[in-house]
Amino acid sequence: MIEVQESDETYRQYAIEEYVLSQEPFYLPVTDEVELFNAAYEQKIPVLLKGPTGSGKTRFIEYMAFKLGRPLTIIKDVTEGGDVKTGLPLVTVACHEDLTASDLVGRYLLEGESTRWIDGPLTRAVKVGAICYLDEVVEARKDTTVLIHPLTDHRRILPIEKLGQIVEARNGFLLVISYNPGYQSALKDLKHSTRQRFMAIEFGYPPRELEAKIIQHEADISASVATELAKLGEKVRHLKEHGLAEGVSTRLLIYAGRLIQKGITPRRACQVAIVWALTDDRDVQRSIEEVVSSIFE
Amino acid sequence: MSSSDYRRVYSKFEKQLAPFSTALVSEFRRSAEAVSPLLSREELVQWAEEGLELARQSWRSWEAAGEYFRASPQVLEMLGFAGFGRWSQHGRDLAELSSALSAAYFRASPGTLSNVSFARLPDWVDLGRQLYKGTWRSASLAVQFFDGSPNLFANLSLEDARVLVRFVDSLCDRSYDLAAHCLSIAPQVLTPLSGEDRAAFLRFAEALASTGWADARAYLEKGPALLAHIHSSQRVRFLGLARDLARREGRQAFGYFAEAARALNQVDDELHGYLLAQAEDLVPLSAVAAMEFLKSVPRVLERVRVEEVGNWHSEGFQLLDASLEGGEAYFRLESARGEEVLESLSSRVDLNRVGEILRMYCKALTGDDVAIHSAETLAEKGIGWVDEAPSTEGTAIFLPPTVEQYHDKTENFGVYKVYSTHQAAHLEFGTFLFNFEREGHVFPNLRREREKGRAAGKEDGQREPLTDMERFFDLFENRRLAADLFAIVEDARLDALVEHEYPGIRAAYRRTQRVELESRPEVEGMPLLQALIENLVRVSLGGEDGLRWPASAVQLVPLLRDAIDVMKTVRQPQATVEDAAEATLRLYDLIAQIPNVVSEMAEEDWQALDEESLQLMPMTGDSLGKDMDLQLQGQEMPYQSPQPVDFRGEFKPELVQLLMRLRQERQGQQPPLSPLSPEQLRAMLEKSVEVSINDMVDGDLQQSSELFLTNLMKELTAQEQEKQQPVQRMPAKEGEPVSGFSTPDDERELPVEPKYFYYDEWDFRAGDYKPRWCRVVEYSVGEGVPQYFDQTLQKYASLAGQTRRQFEMLRPELFRKIKRLLDGEEFDLDAVVEFLVERDAGQSPSGKVYWRRNKVERDVAVAFLLDMSASTDEEIAKHERRYTQDEFDDDPRRYFSWWMARRAQELLSPPKRIIDVEKESIVLVIRALETIGDTYGIYGFSGYGRENVEFYVIKDMDERFSDHVKKRIDKVAPVRSTRMGPAIRHATSKLDTHDAKVRILFLVSDGRPQDHGYGRDRTEKEYAIHDTHMALVEAKRKGIVPFCLTVDRYGHDYLKQMCADIGYAVVPDVESLPSRITTLYRRLTE
Repeated sequence: MIEVQESDETYRQYAIEEYVLSQEPFYLPVTDEVELFNAAYEQKIPVLLKGPTGSGKTRFIEYMAFKLGRPLTIIKDVTEGGDVKTGLPLVTVACHEDLTASDLVGRYLLEGESTRWIDGPLTRAVKVGAICYLDEVVEARKDTTVLIHPLTDHRRILPIEKLGQIVEARNGFLLVISYNPGYQSALKDLKHSTRQRFMAIEFGYPPRELEAKIIQHEADISASVATELAKLGEKVRHLKEHGLAEGVSTRLLIYAGRLIQKGITPRRACQVAIVWALTDDRDVQRSIEEVVSSIFE
Repeated sequence: MSSSDYRRVYSKFEKQLAPFSTALVSEFRRSAEAVSPLLSREELVQWAEEGLELARQSWRSWEAAGEYFRASPQVLEMLGFAGFGRWSQHGRDLAELSSALSAAYFRASPGTLSNVSFARLPDWVDLGRQLYKGTWRSASLAVQFFDGSPNLFANLSLEDARVLVRFVDSLCDRSYDLAAHCLSIAPQVLTPLSGEDRAAFLRFAEALASTGWADARAYLEKGPALLAHIHSSQRVRFLGLARDLARREGRQAFGYFAEAARALNQVDDELHGYLLAQAEDLVPLSAVAAMEFLKSVPRVLERVRVEEVGNWHSEGFQLLDASLEGGEAYFRLESARGEEVLESLSSRVDLNRVGEILRMYCKALTGDDVAIHSAETLAEKGIGWVDEAPSTEGTAIFLPPTVEQYHDKTENFGVYKVYSTHQAAHLEFGTFLFNFEREGHVFPNLRREREKGRAAGKEDGQREPLTDMERFFDLFENRRLAADLFAIVEDARLDALVEHEYPGIRAAYRRTQRVELESRPEVEGMPLLQALIENLVRVSLGGEDGLRWPASAVQLVPLLRDAIDVMKTVRQPQATVEDAAEATLRLYDLIAQIPNVVSEMAEEDWQALDEESLQLMPMTGDSLGKDMDLQLQGQEMPYQSPQPVDFRGEFKPELVQLLMRLRQERQGQQPPLSPLSPEQLRAMLEKSVEVSINDMVDGDLQQSSELFLTNLMKELTAQEQEKQQPVQRMPAKEGEPVSGFSTPDDERELPVEPKYFYYDEWDFRAGDYKPRWCRVVEYSVGEGVPQYFDQTLQKYASLAGQTRRQFEMLRPELFRKIKRLLDGEEFDLDAVVEFLVERDAGQSPSGKVYWRRNKVERDVAVAFLLDMSASTDEEIAKHERRYTQDEFDDDPRRYFSWWMARRAQELLSPPKRIIDVEKESIVLVIRALETIGDTYGIYGFSGYGRENVEFYVIKDMDERFSDHVKKRIDKVAPVRSTRMGPAIRHATSKLDTHDAKVRILFLVSDGRPQDHGYGRDRTEKEYAIHDTHMALVEAKRKGIVPFCLTVDRYGHDYLKQMCADIGYAVVPDVESLPSRITTLYRRLTE
């Protein structure tokens, strides 16, 4: 949905460490993950979020950042729009295979006659005491994973070699990484020295009833359609490793729900949002389509 | 004329005839007496004179004269004296040629002239004369013709005879024996045929004689029987078609005739006219195609409806018009295009095409690893299932091999879907997880009470039931009735659940149910109990409005209503299998007391029952009971189970639970229950109504139940094996393995059963693929000694070291520093200084002052494909004098004996052969590849014929290099022919599953591709080269780099064509192969 802004200001820009969520994200806890995360945050234990794509890892961390921020920092920073900022700053870095240490820590840039140092996102998060969320951390180069080691034990420091500095992490700082054990090849596994610095919260797909509620809320559709979608999700996930590398994510189910909400017929919506998104194999597509056509009229 | 006159005349002639033969004289005398009453004196003299002339004509013509005299009386009677002269003149003329001919003519005349009119007499004579060529053999044939004439003309018209003679005549050029034989059997062959057919039959024979004379005899002998396959009105047409073929093509006309006739025999003969008309359309383009069309019709009709044959034909017609070979291959059903067309025209859905989809579908529904098999395999197992209806035995779902209910593919697939959904529902909704102790959700538990009640009445020592299902059925007196009721109730429950859970399939489900309802047997006339059950089946199919009940038993209607209420309850979504069991109990209680009597009332007595009339009936009270059956007098009938519902298939809960228990037991999962003994099993099976052992096998019960148990055990073992070594049974796609023969128990030691793969083959003439033409069998090479590998390395120590160094240099630096970038990890100091200097000097500096490390990976996968054909067995020294397998092409036995001899000889003195060099090269290549770390596979190929392309795995792509590989190299040996295409395709499919940046297919051969049937005939080389070329092009299309290396010094000739725009190299000096192969590989991947 595109929101056209009437005012002169067409977009808002934040410094990465200043961005906080202004509204509570929708999140339904499946088990005790909220309590676990709260405890970890209090105890400054870095957290590893494990789970397949679209199972709510990112949503969870947003939700937690919001929840944790509200009682702790009561910043009443009134911006132009008059929004009340609340929540903990959340620095999210999507890791890719060319992500280097300097991309995280910072680098010198040329500026006029001289050079200028700019902090990378990790440094900024350390300095302001934000939650730093490294998404899909195994994708990053090995040297970056080593970099986070001093931040994840009792030291909680970030050495910046090039500046000859060490930055102590602020109180609120917490490193959270995510990791999808499903499709990583053996080559791209996390090193044990890295792994063993985190407590891990596993994310699976929510059970049918819960997932139905999530879909219903996110896609704004009737409970019955949401239930059917959740049922479809459950059936399709049975095919994992039998033609499908990954089960269908809740996210895709929500997309299908949204399309249905906009008047697309359920079968078509599922085809474009789920079947075609999941696989290119004709036979597998056909099988899933048959499941779809069994569930939806 | 007085008698003395006669005597004088007689004696005068007798004197003159006497010198020839005394027999002639007596013949004359006898005949003269017979003819004298018919002739005047002059005529008589003339007659005798004629005979005498004849006898004098040549030195053996007196024999003809004898026949002349003998035939005279009859002929005279038929022709009168006027015609007689002409007749004898013909004889005289013939005697000019041969007296034997003339004699035969006279001899045959009386019999023949009754069928041949006098006017046609010359024609007849001409026919005989035509066969006479002045030789002794031709004379005897002509004699045979005359001798056979009476018989022949009794049935044949002169025109027919003329064609026959032409046919026989043209056979004479080849063989007189053949001609004589054909002539002799002709009458009895031709007699049964009707006039028109006979003419056509002979015309084809004539055409055949001139082209395929060798088949003439077979045609005459078998032709009429074959022709009988054709609809009587169409035989002439069919023969005409065959004649066209013989005239145009000549080759194998009889073979086509015979096969097409047999093919048409399999088709409804009402269609023959239509099909022949279609075939005739093709004749102007290709008579062969017309016959191929007829030959293929039965197979085509298996797949498409008659109405679609026209479309199939016209597609082929267009193809034929464009390319003769292509069209012929199309009609021969040997083209991929044809397969495509058939598939699109066919409304039939084959299980092996959709099996994979259904498997995943069921897997999605149930979440279990459900296998899908053809229902026949279940019946074949002999473990209780006899029908080929859809069913399940707990782990797999069995479906009919094809579905062709509707004229539309989608609808037929829908049928499959309904079938599999229902069977999957058994697994999904826990039919077989029935637990006697567990409570239901909608009915209170009556089972336990009932069991106690029954236990009280029984003596001790009763065997413990093996399964919960058995325990449940033990509650009932009439086990069959209980089983039937349970099946109805459980199926109703599942159908309701399916409709509740899967709204999308509801429509298809309802439709199937409606179809089933329509095919239900009439309730009217059924014995009462069966009628009630039948009504319940209808209710379970949603047919509440179609209930029928006899008015005479109207007092039972409340009972029926109560039964329907029970059904309704069990159709609530929360009902479980235990509820189905409870419902069974209740229904049984309601129903079991109804006598199975035939109503004596008329049909009008049966009334429709609707919802309303059911509701209006008084409630069932306790009053229902003893006094009721008094009013239901009639013949008590034995109870029969209701007709099964097709889409629900066979349902055997007791047996499935037993199988499940046995499975668990074998996996050691069920310690609490004592292991089953065969006696227990037998007792259970004898009690169960689900297995009627006699249905499966004949013989006494004891023996057959033994067999059954053996089958049961075998089945469990087989399943275990399947788990250990998952193989796909379904040939779903090209390139996917199909497991071969099932392994019997005693062969369990065998490590791997061969895997089969099917590939298309390119027919360059047709410009199309022949679908699933070649079968590639994958074997693992046997293991020899590992020393061979190391010895070879020692032998080539210097070369090995050298290649190794070269390959080490190939290995890229993993992280290469790339300088002068606009963006990067760090400043490049040199660049920064330069930048500053330039800027201070007033130039515009380039901003590229950063560097970064770039990841460079060598990512190569290669498959080496070695020619292991027999020709690699040649000694290198004798390489010039090449042996080709062509000479053995049509005689495998000769070929093998040659091969055996070679092998024996080679054992005595092993000279260095091409294969040895190939092996050595492979050793070096492996050495090099291990250094560099590329993914590689090493394969060999050979085979004989398209069904048996052997593909040997020396090292698979995923396999690690080990001692096993070393040992296998030792065992590499020449085998048979070289069918390259399928081997390349198989190697390509192996490479295709590997995700590497560079993928190479490296083919090492020693000559051109050749194999039995790899080409139109054994001398043709084009076909094989084109197919190989196409296989290489296919590889290229998949992003694989094919490369051909040959040690055939004359390789340039065909490699130019075979490897057009594909890399190849010829190594003229075989000994240099090891060094060349590594160098080439290095160049290829650099």
